[in-house]
Amino acid sequence: MELPVLNEQPAAKSGCSAGSCGSTDDQLDHLSDEIREKVQNHPCYSEDAHHYFARMHVAVAPACNIQCHYCNRKYDCANESRPGVVSELLTPDQAVKKTMAVAANIPQMTVLGIAGPGDPLANPERTFETFRRLSQEAPDIKLCVSTNGLALPDSVEELSKHNIDHVTITINCVDPEVGAKIYPWIFWENRRIKGKRGAKILIEQQQKGLEMLVAKGILVKVNSVMIPGVNDQHLAEVSKIVKSKGAFLHNVMPLIAEAEHGTFYGVMGQRGPTALELQALQDSCSGDMNMMRHCRQCRADAVGLLGEDRGDEFTMDKIEDMEIDYQAAMEKRKVIHQAIAEEMNSKRAEKHQAAQAFAAEEKLTTRPVLMAVATSGQGLINMHFGHAKEFLIYEASPEGVRFISHRKTELYCSGDNSCGEAETALQKTIRALEGCEAVLCSKVGYEPWEMLEQAGIAPNGEHAMEPIEQAVMAVYKEMAAAGKLEDLSEEQRASA
Amino acid sequence: MALKIIESCVNCFACEPLCPSKAIYEAKPHFLINPKKCTECEDDYKEPQCASICPIEGAILDALGVPINPPGSLTGIPPEKMAEAMAELQAH
Ligand code: SF4
Ligand code: SF4
Ligand code: SF4
Repeated sequence: MELPVLNEQPAAKSGCSAGSCGSTDDQLDHLSDEIREKVQNHPCYSEDAHHYFARMHVAVAPACNIQCHYCNRKYDCANESRPGVVSELLTPDQAVKKTMAVAANIPQMTVLGIAGPGDPLANPERTFETFRRLSQEAPDIKLCVSTNGLALPDSVEELSKHNIDHVTITINCVDPEVGAKIYPWIFWENRRIKGKRGAKILIEQQQKGLEMLVAKGILVKVNSVMIPGVNDQHLAEVSKIVKSKGAFLHNVMPLIAEAEHGTFYGVMGQRGPTALELQALQDSCSGDMNMMRHCRQCRADAVGLLGEDRGDEFTMDKIEDMEIDYQAAMEKRKVIHQAIAEEMNSKRAEKHQAAQAFAAEEKLTTRPVLMAVATSGQGLINMHFGHAKEFLIYEASPEGVRFISHRKTELYCSGDNSCGEAETALQKTIRALEGCEAVLCSKVGYEPWEMLEQAGIAPNGEHAMEPIEQAVMAVYKEMAAAGKLEDLSEEQRASA
Repeated sequence: MALKIIESCVNCFACEPLCPSKAIYEAKPHFLINPKKCTECEDDYKEPQCASICPIEGAILDALGVPINPPGSLTGIPPEKMAEAMAELQAH
């Protein structure tokens, strides 16, 4: 099967190429019908599916065949969303049991991924046995796999035999000079190869693997870690190349590097990008590529809907005691999946209507504004400011409302008496909201209210339980009406 | 002559399937090399396979007890820089 060429739409400067849509956040609008069909219920690709469907990962693949400067194999890797080798490592048999136990108990679980703790394709027996059995025993579960790409060309044939719905390749560069600053060594043909030579082989394998997967009709997503001063300038080119080869999504993630991780970047003081730098890069790439902006770099061993982790309910000793009738569970899952699909469709239709109504209105000419939203899902503003572990960032402009990204915060209100540190954590949260001019939440306390105002971020609790896009647009219009937003057309006239 | 895996091994499994002599086995608290079986890969490869893939500096010793991958050789982190960072963290 030939993959349809994506991004044939005239390149737009910002994320939305369908200029008329009032709500411009939906990544799926860009995709061909065939791919949309494949990914619309995928919690990692569709912002709304995030809130209805769940994915899980199993840690079956401990070995790795390369070294990345942002990784310390001992610990959970924040960058590649893989658990450390110290986390619970499962045998393929245990992984199959666990997956089926979770699927039977959390019917929303539709996707099983293998992402580590090492490289799944450097552990082919363990990875493929897990896939082989799940394809047979639980055919309603989609499988996905993430890889550094080194062993990918050798695995494509085997991958194409299973229920694989997509493959994620982490591609941080296409230039060995840049690669040598990211990958100190690879293990290749029975030798450790360091520096540029190693990076060159890795890059060739990644590109070859990408091409082979596309030729087989397997969806490919590309992840890149943005490392300021190392590959930040280079990633626009990466984006262009992987797109031209047929990757359907490019996800740029920020480097996370702390000295206590003991990684090269952590110890050497390499910084990660700021939220605004990341956003600027995502913006500069999005004309080229369907960027996945809502990736939360979720932990690879998390279980459940995004933002929740029910892993404790499914530890190996608990699973051993569970009796799972998967045939029966599959029937039940099917009914629930249908109901969810209906709900999602009706929400999408509502959104579409709102967008059309919006398009019919008289257009504002004010400048765009970033706003942060606290939500626990269902597309509603339904979370207390102090409880939010992350905020969704939206851009409101005369074109409509566009989803931009997630920003994580440190929870400042932990409910215990560690409130001595509360203030710095609150400051951290406010720093995470840099660039936003309003924050919408169900409620906000007195103290954060004042600090937010001081930081120039207007707290807003007036739209509790309202749909996000509508509320963001309402606030934008209020700001415009109150004369808080300079008129772009006037500005242009003035400078002309 | 044989190589040896010591306690800094993180049990990542990478070395085990590569050993041409089937000398490496999973054990608690970490992987071990059976010294009777280990050939140092002499007849099979130019370099000992286990030490060529092991990601942990110092985890594998040669027959003289010297780390095959000394500090800094794999991560590129200069040992003094690592010591500095660790001292810094301890101080907090
Ligand atoms: S590929 Fe993954 S597991 Fe291997 S070194 Fe890089 S981040 Fe770590
Ligand atoms: S040196 Fe070679 S033979 Fe000896 S344990 Fe390592 S891989 Fe096996
Ligand atoms: S490769 Fe190194 S760290 Fe991994 S199991 Fe072997 S000796 Fe241990």
